[in-house]
Amino acid sequence: MTTNVPAVDRPLLEPAPRKTFWNCSTGFWSWAGTLDHKRIGIMYLVGVSVAFLCGGLFALLVRLHLWEPHGLLFTNEAYNQIFTLHGAFMVFLFIIPAIPASLGNLVLPLQLGAKDVALPRLNLLSFYLWVGGAVLATLSIILGGFDTGWTFYAPYSLYTDKAVVSIGLGIFLLGFSSIFTGLNFIVTTHKLRAPGLTWFRMPLFIWALYATAILQVLATPVLGITVLLVAFERLYHIGIFDPRLGGDPVLFEHFFWFYSHPAVYIMVLPAFGIISEMVTVHSRKPLFGYKLIAFSSLAIAIISFLVWGHHMFTSGQSTYALFAFSFLTFFVAIPTAIKEFSWVATVWKGSIALNSPMLYTLAFLIIFAIGGLTGVILGALNVDIHLHDTYFVVAHFHYVMMGSIALAFFAGLHHWWPKVFGVMYNETLAKIAAITIFVGFNATFIPQFIMGSRGMPRRYATYVPEYLPYHRASTIGAMIIGVGMALMLYYLVASLLQGKKAMQNQWGGVTLEWHTPTPPPLENFEKPPVMEGEVYDYSKLDLESTRTPAT
Amino acid sequence: MFAQLIQDPKPINYIENPVKPAAIDGYGQLEKLASTFDHVDGLFYFTYAVCIFCFVLITGVLLFACVKYRRKTYDQPAASNVTHNTPLEVIWTVVPLIVVMVMFAWGFKGSLDMTVIPQEASRNMYKATARQWNWTFTYPNSAATSIGECWLEVNKPVGFLLESMDVLHAFFMPAMRAKRDVIPGRYQTLWFTPIEVGDYHLFCAEYCGQDHSKMYAQVHVVTAEEFIKKPWDTWPENPTPAEAAEGGKKIYKQICSSCHSLDGSKLIGPSWKGLFVKGADGTITGGQREVVVDGKKQTITVDEAYIIESVLMPDKKKAAGFENTNMAVQPIDEKRIKGIVEFMKRLEETK
Repeated sequence: MTTNVPAVDRPLLEPAPRKTFWNCSTGFWSWAGTLDHKRIGIMYLVGVSVAFLCGGLFALLVRLHLWEPHGLLFTNEAYNQIFTLHGAFMVFLFIIPAIPASLGNLVLPLQLGAKDVALPRLNLLSFYLWVGGAVLATLSIILGGFDTGWTFYAPYSLYTDKAVVSIGLGIFLLGFSSIFTGLNFIVTTHKLRAPGLTWFRMPLFIWALYATAILQVLATPVLGITVLLVAFERLYHIGIFDPRLGGDPVLFEHFFWFYSHPAVYIMVLPAFGIISEMVTVHSRKPLFGYKLIAFSSLAIAIISFLVWGHHMFTSGQSTYALFAFSFLTFFVAIPTAIKEFSWVATVWKGSIALNSPMLYTLAFLIIFAIGGLTGVILGALNVDIHLHDTYFVVAHFHYVMMGSIALAFFAGLHHWWPKVFGVMYNETLAKIAAITIFVGFNATFIPQFIMGSRGMPRRYATYVPEYLPYHRASTIGAMIIGVGMALMLYYLVASLLQGKKAMQNQWGGVTLEWHTPTPPPLENFEKPPVMEGEVYDYSKLDLESTRTPAT
Repeated sequence: MFAQLIQDPKPINYIENPVKPAAIDGYGQLEKLASTFDHVDGLFYFTYAVCIFCFVLITGVLLFACVKYRRKTYDQPAASNVTHNTPLEVIWTVVPLIVVMVMFAWGFKGSLDMTVIPQEASRNMYKATARQWNWTFTYPNSAATSIGECWLEVNKPVGFLLESMDVLHAFFMPAMRAKRDVIPGRYQTLWFTPIEVGDYHLFCAEYCGQDHSKMYAQVHVVTAEEFIKKPWDTWPENPTPAEAAEGGKKIYKQICSSCHSLDGSKLIGPSWKGLFVKGADGTITGGQREVVVDGKKQTITVDEAYIIESVLMPDKKKAAGFENTNMAVQPIDEKRIKGIVEFMKRLEETK
C-alpha cells in the first residue's frame, strides 16, 4: 500500500551545505566549460602535476642510467631522448605554467578582492592551449621522440630524424597559453583591484605575478617565432639557421636565449612572490622592505632582457658583447640579493611557525642562496669559460629551478591547499616529506657541482670512470627525492579522500583571500571586500578564525 | 616503444680508452691546472670563498631566528614589527655591488687573456676538425693528421683553429681550462700553454647527437725531445698484414664503430659482418653485397677497391636498405683504408 506521505523537506531539518565553488554545479561540462578562475586553476594544477610526475620519472631514469660509466639501462640514442623529455616536460609543461597558471589563477583574483579574472573566456582558452601543447608533446613521443635537448640548438635540430616539428608546434601553443595568462593577469591587476587596494597595498605575490606577466607578454613571442622558423626550415629548407643553406646557427642561440633567459625569470619571479607571502604570514610579521622587494621584481624583469648573451660566452661573441653581458649579469645579482636579505630580515624577530609551508620556505631560502651564489661564480667570464656546459651549470640551474622554484610551488601549494580545498593534509607527514626532499635534493646536486668543476660535461650518456663516485652519490640523492615526492603525493591525495576540515584561516593570513569563507563561494566573496589599512598588518588578525573549522 | 632502444647486455657505448689524467689528483675542488690560465682558479676560489661566507651568514641568521623566535603559543605576536632600516639596506645593496664589480673586472681581464691569441701560439697553430663523433688534428705547418689523439709540446703556447663538418660541438679540455664552441660554417680559435707533461681529456661539451659522450680525444703533452720524434706518425712504412690489421682496428674503434657493427646488428650504417667470408679451403674471399647504383639494385663481390671507394666516395654504391643514410667522407688515406680491409678480413678469421 502506498500512502501519499509528503517528502521530507531536508533543508528544514538540517542546514543546506554552504554553496562553494566546488558544489555550486556538477557534471563534466561544469568543469570542462567553466569560466571560474578557481576551477581553471584546479584543472591546471592537475595538469602540471601530471607533467611534473612524468618529468620526474624521466629524471629518475636519467640518474639510474648514469649509475654505471657505460650506462646502465639504455642505448645512447634512448638516453638522449629521455634527458630531452625530462628537460622539455619540466620547463615547458611544468615550471613555466606551474605557479602563474595554477596557483596564480587560484589566488590572484582572491587576493585582489575580485570576482574573477578580467577575461575569463581567455583564461579557459589558455588552459586548452596548454592541453593542446601537452597533447602535441606526448604525440611527439609516440612519433619517435626527440633528442635535441630542450634547447633545440640548430643545426642538430634541423638534421635529426626525430619528431622535432610536432614538439615545436606544441611549444608554440604553450607559448600562447603563457602569453594569454600574462595578458589576463595584467588587465586584472589594473582593473579589478578592490576599493582601497592601492598598488602599494597589494600582496607581493601579485607584484611578482604582474612582473612575470610583463615578461610573458613581451618575451614569449620570440620563442614562438623561433620554433616556427625551425619548423619551416625542417619542412621547406629555408636557410635561416643551417650553415649549409647560408644560415647561422649562432643566430638560433641568440633568438632562443632572448626568450629563454627572461623565461628563467618567468619561472622564478612567481616563486619569489610566494616566498614573500610565506615569510610574512608564517612569521606573522610585516614584510621587511616591501617597496624594495616590489621594485626589485620589476628591476629583475627589465634587466633580464639584457643578459641573454651569458648563455653563449664560449660561442665566439665579440669582446664588447662579452663585456656588456657579463657586467649586466652581475648587476642582476643585486636586486636578487636584496630580496634574499629582506626575507631573512622578515623572519628575524618574527613569530615563526615551523609548519610545512614554512619548512618548504626555509628550504627555499637555503637552496636559493646556493643557487644564486653559484650564479655569481658563473657570471665571471673566465670562470664561465671553464664551467660552461658542465655539470656545474646543471647543478646551478637545478638549484634555481627545481630547488627554488619547485620548492616555492610546494610551499604555496601547502599554504593555499586548505583555503582552496577546505581540507587539511597530515602535517607530520608533510614535514617529513619537506625534510626528505631537502636532504635528497642536496645529496643529488652537491656532487654535481664538484664533478662539474672537475670537468664532467653535461648531456653525457656515458662518462669516464673517474666521475663515478659523484654520479652514484647523485643517483642515490635522486632516489631520496623520489621517496619524498611519493610521500607528498600520498598525503595530499589522502587529504582529499578523508582529510579533516581545515580552519577558516589556517595560517593566520591577513590578505584578502583569508577574508572570505573557506573554501570560497563561486563569486569569491559574499559581499565585495574593501581593503582598509596597510597590507600585512597582523595587529588586525582575527585569531578566532584560525581555530574555526571551515564550513 | 622504447623496447628496441633498451641496451644490449654488453656495454657497447663505453668510452674505449680514457686516459688517467696526470693532473686529476689535484688540490681543491678544481682538478690541478695544467696550463697558464691561473686567473681562472684564482677567481673561482675567491668567488667560492665569498659565496661560502654569504651562505653561512644567511643560513646562520635564518636558523638562529628559527630557534630563538619560534612560535610557542598560537597567539604569539612577532617580537618586532620593524619594516625598514635604511643603513642596513644601503649596506646590503652597496657592499655586494662593490664585490661583484671586482669579480666582473677580474673575470673580464682573464677572458681577454683567454680569447686574444698571442703571436707564439698563432705560429704553432693546430687545426682541430670536429665531426659526429670524433676529433681530427692537423699538425702545424704539416699535412700530418691524427684521429682521437693529439700530441702537444710542453711549455709552448699552442693555438687551435676549430672547424665543424656538421653540427655544433665544443672543444673542452678541463685541465687546461680551455673551452670554445665549434660552429659549422665559421672558424673559431682557442689557445693555451700546457705546462705539465701528461695525458689529458678532450671532451665535446656541446650536445651533438647520438654519441656525443663518446666524442673524446686524448691529448698527450710531451717534452720537446719526444715531440721531435713525431709520435703521431705511427703508421709503418711497409706494414705486415698483422700490423695493418691492428692499425685498422684502432681506426675502426675511433671512427667507424658509431655506425657500423661487427656482429650483424643494425646501427646507423650496415654491419661489416659478412663483407669477407671464409671459404671451405680456409681462404678469405669477398662476400656478396647488395648495393644501389643510380637507383638500381645490383649484387657485387666485395673487394679492396670497393671498400676504398666506399670510404672516399660513400654515395657511389650504397648498401641496399641504407639508400637514405649519408655517410660523411672520412679523413683516412689509402694505406690506412688498406689496414681497415685487413682488419675486416681478420674479423672472419678470428671466429
